[in-house]
Amino acid sequence: MRPLSRTLIVVLALALVAPALFIRPAPAAEDVKIALVAPLSGRWARQGQLKKMGAEMAIEEINSQGGIRALGGAKIVLREGDAGDSVEKAVSAAQRLLTREKISAGIGSWLSSFTLGVTEVAERLQVPWLSLSYADSITERGFKYTFQTSPVSSLQAEQALELVTDVARRNNRPIKKAAIVGDNTAATVFFFKPLREKLLAAKGIELVVDEVWTPPLADATAIVQKLRSTQPDIMFYGGTNFPDSIQVLQKIKEFGVKTPIQGVGAWLVTPEYVKTVGKELLDNIQTVVAAHPLKGQEDLVKKFVQRTGEPFMTQDPLCTYAHVWLIKEAIEQAKSADPKAIRDALAKIDLSSGPATSAFYPARVKFDERGRRVGAAPLIVQWQGGEPFTVVPAAVATRPLAWH
Amino acid sequence: MALAELVQYVATGLLVGGVYALMSIGLALIFGVMRVVNFAQGDFMMLGMYLTYFYAISGSIDPLLGALLTIPPFFVLGWIVHRGLLARVTGGGDPQRQMDAQLVLTLGLSLVITNATTMILTPTPLGIRTGYATQAFALGPVLLNQARSYAFAMALVLAAAVYVFLTRTDLGKALRASADDPEAASYQGIDVRAMHGLAFGIGIALVAAAGGLLATYYPIEPTVAGNFIVLMFVAVVLGGLGSIPGAFVGGLVIGLVQSLTLLVLPFQLQNTGVFIVFLLVLYLRPQGLFGRRARTV
Repeated sequence: MRPLSRTLIVVLALALVAPALFIRPAPAAEDVKIALVAPLSGRWARQGQLKKMGAEMAIEEINSQGGIRALGGAKIVLREGDAGDSVEKAVSAAQRLLTREKISAGIGSWLSSFTLGVTEVAERLQVPWLSLSYADSITERGFKYTFQTSPVSSLQAEQALELVTDVARRNNRPIKKAAIVGDNTAATVFFFKPLREKLLAAKGIELVVDEVWTPPLADATAIVQKLRSTQPDIMFYGGTNFPDSIQVLQKIKEFGVKTPIQGVGAWLVTPEYVKTVGKELLDNIQTVVAAHPLKGQEDLVKKFVQRTGEPFMTQDPLCTYAHVWLIKEAIEQAKSADPKAIRDALAKIDLSSGPATSAFYPARVKFDERGRRVGAAPLIVQWQGGEPFTVVPAAVATRPLAWH
Repeated sequence: MALAELVQYVATGLLVGGVYALMSIGLALIFGVMRVVNFAQGDFMMLGMYLTYFYAISGSIDPLLGALLTIPPFFVLGWIVHRGLLARVTGGGDPQRQMDAQLVLTLGLSLVITNATTMILTPTPLGIRTGYATQAFALGPVLLNQARSYAFAMALVLAAAVYVFLTRTDLGKALRASADDPEAASYQGIDVRAMHGLAFGIGIALVAAAGGLLATYYPIEPTVAGNFIVLMFVAVVLGGLGSIPGAFVGGLVIGLVQSLTLLVLPFQLQNTGVFIVFLLVLYLRPQGLFGRRARTV
């Protein structure tokens, strides 16, 4: 066969196949489209994948239970945007998604730095946006369309410090020296800032190590060497990039450092930690998170585990699951799929039961004028025997806290 | 500062640099022989990490051995990629156009490999748990991480093997001849196209082996290349474009500078030191540490 005709056949074959790759089945007219902008590629893709699992589970539940009643049983469909590994990509994904078709509400984008960018787009295009990100600045800009369900970083810092100093005192190992170790992504920065500037000093705790890096971290030796030589009583830890975090934990073991670790964020309690460093190394490491399965949520977790094959459920799928339900509730109340009407409904909403509140502690959803969830309080989750359990507050804990 | 601490920083820097060095020589070889800037080099490293992982999981093969076992399949893969893709855009034609085409090709290849891996193997990070990743050899107060020490030693051995191959064997000489002057080499009966395939195969195999060594202590994920690719290019340019010993020393220098930078700058500026040294070298010695004006391997 002559090369030209062969090329022609390939081109024709591609032309036949190509449309199937690009055209997705059109949703029925009354479907309500919600956006999920999360990292689905790049170094945070795993978190995006977990969020997607939560969203899909909620959507399946809602649709199988008859959809949105106020809209005549309209089904919810998910539109995903890949936030990738940079703020620019996250912003352009949101921009594309929200301008291409009519989106009723959005969720995302995991990393606070991404959420800051994506919510700007949502604000401009007037689409209500739900986020689990922690950074204080997300709801400090006077935005009307941004709703933050998690307790903000500075509050988490305050409460985490309160808790660890209290537990340490009760165990007769008062905290006198502390270390701050982590990267410079937004949520971590906002967690460390109040500790560094006022909280530690107010408790008479000396800051002996303060090491912040830009991911990726080349090697953790210098950091851990400082921990070894200064022997702090607690280490506040924020290594959101998995390889960085693994390097720090491995080095801590290698250097025989015994400092208790108090992390910030749910990245520290994902299943891959067990596979990579083993459960012995993780035991007793604790982290402050915005959500984690609580006492009484066993059925939800069981369903998630069966559905996804994940060994346990964590903040990211849990919050996204609740966000989808919350959007559903807002649409029911607004009786409309119009983004502005949904925003107004979210601003007025006050729920204290049902799946929409399931992920949150305390289980009430009401937003203040800034878009922050009223009363939002962090949880402490601790690794015990290769699984992370909610240990604080005691009322909703699934295991008692073990101190080092 | 205590002397022991300084020694610790130097040792850590060299150990980190050892694997950078091995990653970089493959890139240097490919550039030196073929004038191809391979943006997908880091992605082949990532694939090498995955293969080492699968060896470890399915065959209980220790990753240090697994790293060596990545060499044959990746040599073949490199050869195939060269034959199937790169050979179509290099060799013959307008030299400027050629450059554009191969840049776009390797960049595209990188995107395809990363995204295909994310789709097929999922973005969930994997790790090989080795005892030596969290243990150290203690030389007095200085601790040398065992995994990094083994990786360093193997990187040295592999780099030495490549050097001996290039300088002591007929095939190696033919490869260097093709790099120095492809036209003259072909007049001498050397199949330059085959030499390019050989260089690409070896370059890919080396970076895959470096990935295998890295996997002894570093988590594996589809985007892991992004953490190293810039440093690889800096090492290659620092050492003198296309120079194998240069790339090796360049890799070591980067590790060392990253580590020693921490003595004077905060952690957030760790790579600033690397780029300051890089700019200084380019300013004072534009051809790189080991570069010659002529093409060299």
